Amino acid sequence: MDIMNFLDTGSTDLLDVTNMVKWLLSSLGHFMIFKKFGVRPIYAFFPVVREYNVSVCAGKEKEGRTFAVINAVEVLLAIPYYLLKDSNSSFFQLIEIAILAAILADVLYQIRIYSGLCQAFGRSKRWLWGWFFVDEWIAIIWGFGESFQPQKQVEKVDADAGVKVSGVNAQVTDSGLTVNISERTTIDFFRKMVLLKDIHLSIPEGHMVLLLGGSGAGKTTFVNAVTGYEKADASIMLKEQDLYRDYKKMKYDVGFVPQQDLMRGNDTVLRTLADAATLRMPSGVSIFARRKRVRDVLEEFGLAAISSSLVEKLSGGQRKRLSIAMEFISDPSLFILDEPDSGLDGVVARGLFEKLRSIADSGKIVIVITHTPDRVIDLFDDVIVLAKDASRTGRLAYYGPVKEAYEFFGKDSMEDILLSINQTDEGGEGRGDEFVEKYADRMLEADRKAG
Amino acid sequence: MDTKKIKHRGRFSQVFIYLGKLFRMFIFQNDWKVFPMAAVIAGLVCYVVGANLFVTQEGTMIGTFALACICIWNGFFNSIQVICRERPIVKREHRSGMHISSYITAHMIYQAFLCIGQTVITLIVCRITKVNIPTQGLITNIALLDIGITLFLITYCADMMALMVSAMVHMTTTAMTIMPFLLIFQLVFSGAFFPLGNGAAKFTDLTISKWGLTALCSQGDYNSKPMVTLWNAVAKLQNTEFNGQKPVAEFMRQAQESGLKEYILAWSGKQNQNPVYAFSADNVLGCWGYLLLFIFIYASIAVICLEFIDRDKR
Repeated sequence: MDIMNFLDTGSTDLLDVTNMVKWLLSSLGHFMIFKKFGVRPIYAFFPVVREYNVSVCAGKEKEGRTFAVINAVEVLLAIPYYLLKDSNSSFFQLIEIAILAAILADVLYQIRIYSGLCQAFGRSKRWLWGWFFVDEWIAIIWGFGESFQPQKQVEKVDADAGVKVSGVNAQVTDSGLTVNISERTTIDFFRKMVLLKDIHLSIPEGHMVLLLGGSGAGKTTFVNAVTGYEKADASIMLKEQDLYRDYKKMKYDVGFVPQQDLMRGNDTVLRTLADAATLRMPSGVSIFARRKRVRDVLEEFGLAAISSSLVEKLSGGQRKRLSIAMEFISDPSLFILDEPDSGLDGVVARGLFEKLRSIADSGKIVIVITHTPDRVIDLFDDVIVLAKDASRTGRLAYYGPVKEAYEFFGKDSMEDILLSINQTDEGGEGRGDEFVEKYADRMLEADRKAG
Repeated sequence: MDTKKIKHRGRFSQVFIYLGKLFRMFIFQNDWKVFPMAAVIAGLVCYVVGANLFVTQEGTMIGTFALACICIWNGFFNSIQVICRERPIVKREHRSGMHISSYITAHMIYQAFLCIGQTVITLIVCRITKVNIPTQGLITNIALLDIGITLFLITYCADMMALMVSAMVHMTTTAMTIMPFLLIFQLVFSGAFFPLGNGAAKFTDLTISKWGLTALCSQGDYNSKPMVTLWNAVAKLQNTEFNGQKPVAEFMRQAQESGLKEYILAWSGKQNQNPVYAFSADNVLGCWGYLLLFIFIYASIAVICLEFIDRDKR
């Protein structure tokens, strides 16, 4: 609100004493409010950072990002505004218009965020008027008033609270997939976040593997890291070749089928597959061989009879098979599918997984993410279980044969396993850390035995 | 497998994959509708402003502005949604080895086909509605072809601007929200109709409408055309009585009978010379050059923006 104060008062002097006092009072009030919420109080003195953290306190972190950006724009626009304010140039007029637009957006976000703050303090939304017109005094009252206490503190994610790390690298096999992910991090709104950590496993060829994990456990991040699409601090070896180092060439040896059927609805099945073949197959393959491959794949996936149909006319199952066929056309060694059975009924889904089983049996590695694994679990060899640990990082809670997984978790279905590792606020048992540590111990033990 | 020895489709070959897709979409989807739409819009505009286009200075100014607006409108609508509506598909294909430059090049070729079609239709409509097309060409000696090239460049440039927007945004609704702002900017900052201050006038150089309108005015030999504003202003006074007589009406009648009117109109035109619209090949080539530069810049930005498609959030 500081920039607004400067502009609203009509003062042309940035160093106007009244404005400075107001800013100081507001900052002091926010300092105490942040303290009450468990946010670093010093943030109250930094424009933009303050706005973002007020949003965090108000439980509106997502809106707070936009709010902070709007404030940053206001701060940036304020500089030429004060430099050119006496020039009366057309550029200055444009700046004024831009500031006006920013202020309008700012006001809307203030209403959203400060109403959230009222809620966080358990106070009536009538306080919004106060926040709007005399925010410095309201900040002082809420910050220093003993009766003004937030209903809950800002949830802190302790980056160092992660559970035990095994650090035991999987041995590279000459025919399978070896994954050694030390860490996968990202910067999200100036904060470093560890998405995945300490995932080491080796999948032999011909295996069909279930990738199990709750919401936000890092399944898609794991898949993207394994395929080299989003690189991690990791070593991914496919048949002794470094997937990261030779990504440009090796990406054709990895087939990834996304959850949505991302195909152009107004193209025919045959043309869709033929174009996928031209794009994915080596350019050295003759046109006759390519056409034969397209015909064979159409037959194999039961699409030959509808090859001239438009994609948008296909049923859900047919569309899914076409989506898989588009990746299968280049005969990849590693095949990853993100929820291929979503939206399919049990019978169609079973048929699809049997098809995937036959692909694995032909010597490929097939990794499948699914939220309904129990109806097809007999078709899988192994299961990878990912769980969120205390620091909200995706960790490996188990990798191994399906039958051993039941023993490891003490459960008799994959859905129960999922329930046990899910956080309590997601309706789970919240035992993710326990199994991550148990699996890390198991890996360390195996490593010690192996010498 | 020894992946090091295996080569895949290069950028050039991939252009044809996407060209095939786009032309199939032209038939199966509703892209063909841009042609009848262009005819309807051109018909409406020619009906309203066609009579004085390339006849008087005022008619030329209004008419060429309207023609430039048709082209910008057509160009914007051709491609404003083409990339953003299939962005997740583009992301998947990029992951599978698609080159963004090939994809954009295919779009550029396909959009050029649409723009040429729309330009031809606009010219045919101009002919049908008996618009007075200039007879002397500055670049090719065929005036119609010169005008056609200008109309094509305006349409194509607007098309590429919309393609750039389509590559930048993630949703069709965002693209359709931005489009009117771009259109208004093109109209207001064309530099022809709305008086702009010195600072704001500089922005006109960034608009497609300014260079398109300037090229069309040059090709229509704006400076040689008569100016009717003065005569029309006098005509408004023709009912004024002085000592029971109407001297202005009498003067106008006599001027029309003696041919003085044409002299006055031509004389007015000579007083209203605008060197920016000079009837010269250099002038037209300069305008074309700016439009080509914009096309290149817009297409390049589209490629650069789309190269970051992998960063799209799920």
